[in-house]
Amino acid sequence: MAFSRRGFLGAAAGAAAGTAFGLSRGRAMSRLIADLDFAVYPPGGPETFALSVCRECPGGCGTRVRCIGGRPVKLDGNPLHPVNAGRLCPKGQAALQALYHPDRILRPLRREGRRGDPDSFRPADWDEALAEIGVRLGLLRKQGRPEALGLLRGPDAGLDEALAGRFLAAFGSPNDLVQHGGSEAPALAAQASQGIRRAPVPDLGEADLVLSFAGDFLDCPDSPVLMTRAFGRFRRGRGGRRGRFIYAGSRESLTASAADEWVPIRPGSEGLLALGIASVIVAEGLYDRAFAIRHLAGFEDGPDGSPGLRRLLLTDFGLDRVSAATGVPVNWILRIAREFAAARPGLALGPRSGQQLAASLLGHLGAAVLNGLCGSIDVAGGVLTAGPGPLPAWPDLPDDPVAAAGRGRARLDRAAAGELAAADPGALAAAILAEEPYRLEALFVLGCDPAWVGPAPEAFAAAMAKVPLVVAFASLPDRTALLADWILPLPHALETWACHFGPADAAFPVVSLARPVLTEPLGDVRPAGEVFLELARRLGGPVAEALPWPGMPELIRDQIGRLFAARRGAIIGTAFDEAWVRLMERAGWWAPGYRSEEELWNRMLETGGWWDPFYDHQDWQRVLRTESGRFELRPDLIAELDRQAALRGAGRVEGEGAAGDGSLAVHLFEPLALAGGRGAHLPFLQEILDPDHQEKWETWAEIHPETAAELDIRDGEPVEVRSGQGSVLARARLTERVVPGLVALPVGQGVPHGNHWTPAADGNPCALLAPAREALTGLPDAAATRAGMVGRERRRMRQEA
Amino acid sequence: MDPDTTMVDPDEVLLRPMQRTGWKFWLFSAVMLAIWAFGMYEWTVQLRSGLQVTGLNVPVYWGLYITNFVFFIGISHAGTLISAILRLCKAEWRRPITRAAEVITVLVLFFGAGCVILDLGRPERALNVILYANGHSPLVWDVCSITVYLTGSLIYLYLPLIPDAAILRDRMPQRRWFYRIVALGYRGTPRQKKILETAISVMAVVVIPIAVSVHTVVSWVFAMTVQPMWHSTIFGPYFVVGAIFSGIAGILIAMAIVRKVYHLENYLKPVHFNNLGLLLLVMTLLWFYFTFAEYLTTYYGSEPDHMRIFTAKIHGQYAPLFWSMVLCCLVIPFCLLVTKRTRSSVWGCVTASVAVEIGMWLERYLIVVPSLSNPRLPRADVSYAPTLVEWSLLASFVAAFIFLYGLFTKVFPIVSIWEVKEGREKALSEVEERIREALPGITPDAPAVGPAERQRRDQRDAQPVLTPAS
Amino acid sequence: MTRWGMVIDLDRCTACQACVVACRVENNAPPSGPEFAHQGRDISWIRLGSIKHEEAGNRPGLSLAPLPCMHCENPPCVHVCPTHATTIDEEGMVAQVPARCIGCRYCTTACPYTVRQFNWRLGQWPAPLDQGRNPDVSIRPRGVVEKCTFCAHRLQRARDRARYEGRELEPDEYVPACVESCPAEAMFFGDLDDPHSEVARQAASPRAFRLMEELGTRPKVIYLSKGE
Repeated sequence: MAFSRRGFLGAAAGAAAGTAFGLSRGRAMSRLIADLDFAVYPPGGPETFALSVCRECPGGCGTRVRCIGGRPVKLDGNPLHPVNAGRLCPKGQAALQALYHPDRILRPLRREGRRGDPDSFRPADWDEALAEIGVRLGLLRKQGRPEALGLLRGPDAGLDEALAGRFLAAFGSPNDLVQHGGSEAPALAAQASQGIRRAPVPDLGEADLVLSFAGDFLDCPDSPVLMTRAFGRFRRGRGGRRGRFIYAGSRESLTASAADEWVPIRPGSEGLLALGIASVIVAEGLYDRAFAIRHLAGFEDGPDGSPGLRRLLLTDFGLDRVSAATGVPVNWILRIAREFAAARPGLALGPRSGQQLAASLLGHLGAAVLNGLCGSIDVAGGVLTAGPGPLPAWPDLPDDPVAAAGRGRARLDRAAAGELAAADPGALAAAILAEEPYRLEALFVLGCDPAWVGPAPEAFAAAMAKVPLVVAFASLPDRTALLADWILPLPHALETWACHFGPADAAFPVVSLARPVLTEPLGDVRPAGEVFLELARRLGGPVAEALPWPGMPELIRDQIGRLFAARRGAIIGTAFDEAWVRLMERAGWWAPGYRSEEELWNRMLETGGWWDPFYDHQDWQRVLRTESGRFELRPDLIAELDRQAALRGAGRVEGEGAAGDGSLAVHLFEPLALAGGRGAHLPFLQEILDPDHQEKWETWAEIHPETAAELDIRDGEPVEVRSGQGSVLARARLTERVVPGLVALPVGQGVPHGNHWTPAADGNPCALLAPAREALTGLPDAAATRAGMVGRERRRMRQEA
Repeated sequence: MDPDTTMVDPDEVLLRPMQRTGWKFWLFSAVMLAIWAFGMYEWTVQLRSGLQVTGLNVPVYWGLYITNFVFFIGISHAGTLISAILRLCKAEWRRPITRAAEVITVLVLFFGAGCVILDLGRPERALNVILYANGHSPLVWDVCSITVYLTGSLIYLYLPLIPDAAILRDRMPQRRWFYRIVALGYRGTPRQKKILETAISVMAVVVIPIAVSVHTVVSWVFAMTVQPMWHSTIFGPYFVVGAIFSGIAGILIAMAIVRKVYHLENYLKPVHFNNLGLLLLVMTLLWFYFTFAEYLTTYYGSEPDHMRIFTAKIHGQYAPLFWSMVLCCLVIPFCLLVTKRTRSSVWGCVTASVAVEIGMWLERYLIVVPSLSNPRLPRADVSYAPTLVEWSLLASFVAAFIFLYGLFTKVFPIVSIWEVKEGREKALSEVEERIREALPGITPDAPAVGPAERQRRDQRDAQPVLTPAS
Repeated sequence: MTRWGMVIDLDRCTACQACVVACRVENNAPPSGPEFAHQGRDISWIRLGSIKHEEAGNRPGLSLAPLPCMHCENPPCVHVCPTHATTIDEEGMVAQVPARCIGCRYCTTACPYTVRQFNWRLGQWPAPLDQGRNPDVSIRPRGVVEKCTFCAHRLQRARDRARYEGRELEPDEYVPACVESCPAEAMFFGDLDDPHSEVARQAASPRAFRLMEELGTRPKVIYLSKGE
């Protein structure tokens, strides 16, 4: 009888003991209560709004910051800003996470231990940092080797970056290098056809038909908001006129999935397809004859008997060849050609898969040929050419023989080595390693991460080891910063004065101006501009003379004075203001809303900036700067590039020059959230990497199910993608959004040394890229990279067996 | 204890579990309580960290806990419903098994309701269901019907317990105070007997619609949503059939164990297994009929959202579970129960019943999880794998149930003493009376069966019971 | 009577997910981290989902569409909630009361759009990330369901402001964070019952459709299909 009572007691005791043991661990009870509490509101305070500029990408959108008790809590677009008109992209929305990031670098850091060891940094103060860097730079000047200083900067166009360039010029170095791979090939194509080395601006919003040859203008443009807004207008913003969009490429990117039609093509055959379409247009006489007669050059055979584009297209780019090489059926090519020629205007876009990843020249020349043949040059809805903005405007450099001699030396990257030589961080790395033509003694890196995102990350990392003084500006620890000797912490956009010049995607010049929203930065940080001004002061002499401003606010004020003196444009405003300014300027009037420098300054701070909406279409003297004054179709160049590509292809078939131990073509792309490689630290961006697969926080490898079946790879399986250069661990994704025989990997993913949320990345897709370059341009030869893919788990099992 | 009574009472064996307890029971208790305590510890883990310790995710918001809830509530149909139906049908063979069945109902209902508490993100707010009840919500219907069912089942378990408690009060020196309270002063006077019998028959009638409603309402939790393969009119009866199916299997298992452990071979005889086995066979076929109807309708409807779930079950991710379910719910029980030889043997019935329980659990799982993991808007990478916490809580509930069941057998006779006695004393003549009333050509003088035949049958059916324990 | 609704033009939408991030910042959705995100437990009141192409009018394959709460006029979640923790108000907004929710997740399973979210754990904001949280939106405790509110706190603020200034609420004073951010200008928000509102005009487009109209939930989020 007693047993059952005991049984009861035992049961109760057991349960109670279990419960008690469970709850007694740690501060469990109090945490439990905290977890279960409800109606917790973050601390409130007075609500204020301030204007600022987003610096998460080169776009430079105007932002409106909602602050509670002085703390920024939400960013939205500045409705008056011409780039974003009140809108923001996901990167801009996530920018507060960069401000409040737990891993932010809040003090200057000095490397003490081994290079590349993330634990080897010791906090330092600014005086120490600037003193040491100043002394080292002073020594270079004293030795008469100012060219031994280099600056590598990203595509951002702010006053800080411009000032860094000015510092280099004043110091006497030609090595003011910009890493902006995405714009290299289009800029070279524009150089060849228009004589202007600047990527042309597609007037997407006004186009009738857009034909993109793997141009991912919605994934990784310089300004996502500008392009996305233009796309919205292209589709539905013009009354009943809906733009049609055809995308040809090997991967169905975000851009491609927004298209009406995705034409899958063999990897790397974009240029060929464009020329095949051009060939149909020529053969069927569908091109714009009037434009061809007036503005095209190189269409007909030359007087010396050199073949013109017409002959070249008809002989070398016939339908059979193009169809076989691209995998696009002949009738598709015919249909697309007719559709494109019928559109007024049709807009052809060359390949672009990232801000940092370079594309081939042939694709862009093909797109330029199509635009030229159909007269889509410098018309609304065609290809525009941005004119120079009024800023930055600098006073002349003081007379300085040391600097002049230094500036006269050759640049370390190949850019400017020839008409069509591309700036290449790979070449830069090679030059540093070879110490040819001279040794690089000091390097500043600002706004890019060449040791992680770029065409040659490993080569660059190796090159950094050769440079005695590497100074990286960073606000979050990226790989380049961790390989540097000094990390100088940058303020967040909300903590500093902003003076930003419009994105490369815009045909109009913009100057965004904003004062700091947070007057007390969260850490001991300084804008890059202040650092260069201080270094100039410490160097003294002509360098200090060239940079005489006591601080960035004074410099910005000075620049706005120069803007006033330029006597053009207007304060940013509503659509009505914009129409008014356009109308006035077209009639030759300049009717600014300000009468004095002071007023310009105040109004710019009130509204967020200044711009010049006026674009003078078909100003041929401005946009066609070739010797002939015409739009050059460059059949010579096309034939040469085609010949070289054929040669390289043949070489690969024979096994020479083929890189990698696999047979898969490699396509790297920059997803919107990571384009340019800056988003990897922000959780909200990591959690929207890919809308289709819902990829989060990791690198994935897209592969066609057929190819996967051949390789015995299953969906979701951890795989290793290995090329001759390196390998990366990823998760396999079987998808019909890539063509067979291709592996597509996102760039910018993976935080090299981990962060608060995630451990270190398992390799870098950029490291897969083969070092092969196009002989003519020095652009990376994308087709040279070949890779294999193996399942990790099963390989391990096989090895064990 | 009075040695004389022991000598005369044939049902002494029924009292033995209450009088003596061996080390085996202690070992059994220790093991069961250990499993229970482990589960409770895991529950504290869940309380501390929240439902993130489960394998649940988006969109598989419901998993093992809800599966167990439906499963336990299903088993609860074992007792009350079956015993009530048998009582109303005056199936005399029911007498030794009703209590064993009713206890299952009452105990398992607690665990069924407990599963819902486990599943709540905020268990401490469970009372909101009553405070802020939304009459539209099938969950509120559930709370009502389960509460009513639990109350009804408790009463229905308790009423027939009163005379036995009185016997125990009179016969057992230990715990007399307890039995005195339970027996409510029952002396077996004709008036008391009459009231008791009336109450029992009223409850037997009342409890049947409640029981049917309970599992219907449980099914409506699913069927009242618009989710594919949940939104089905057949769900109410389908769930009830499944519930009775698993319930009968539950009784059979419990009977076999009790019979073995307490040596009740004289009470729980092959005829009981045979009869319940027959019932189980009928339910097997009914279950198959409903399942077949449900899946065939889906297949012919071919709506894409439904078909994704359908194919996931038939030859997709859930195919191994699905076909195991068919094996356990149809093939094994059917083969074992269709022949009398295996049906009337204890092992045959028990094997079939264990298969049915596994199969029915799988059926519940396959109703809850595949529909959720294939929502109308497809999502990539949906998978649900229950974690240790979920499994251990299932084990803990099962262990606690078994322990409490064992405990009950130690406090009250698991075979109703007075009903068996009554059956021996009165049933025979009652049955005779019933037959006489129902069939023509039988006069009071001419019995339905010849005296010789009658004696032979009496000996076969009742002899062991009637033979005094020597 | 005001009847708040949203129009999403899939022809403009580029699936950039600005709406997703804007919503998470505005509504204090905690960052998840890799493990939690891979478990499919990250909280996002609006997400991108694949909808059937016949609905979107896209070329073969699945089409991506932002999926906020549809704020159905016949909301399945409201019917099944046992505790009235989710309700629909007279202006058609389906709201969630976290303080009353028992976390049974019946609403999440009943919602055919799977847009309701459950707090599997308490949100974690490693310092100083917590500085950026919006004081207008409460931090949801663990174990309760939450969902898109059409940024009802913004409506509350706008109403308060209008009342303070002694005037009526202007139609453009209140938009949810997702609509405000959308770079493609693909989202419209306003009063569906006001025939002059942009959202009502868009909703009358021949391209307009509602997700899973056949279920009879009568969503107030209206999509405009791709194509002509």
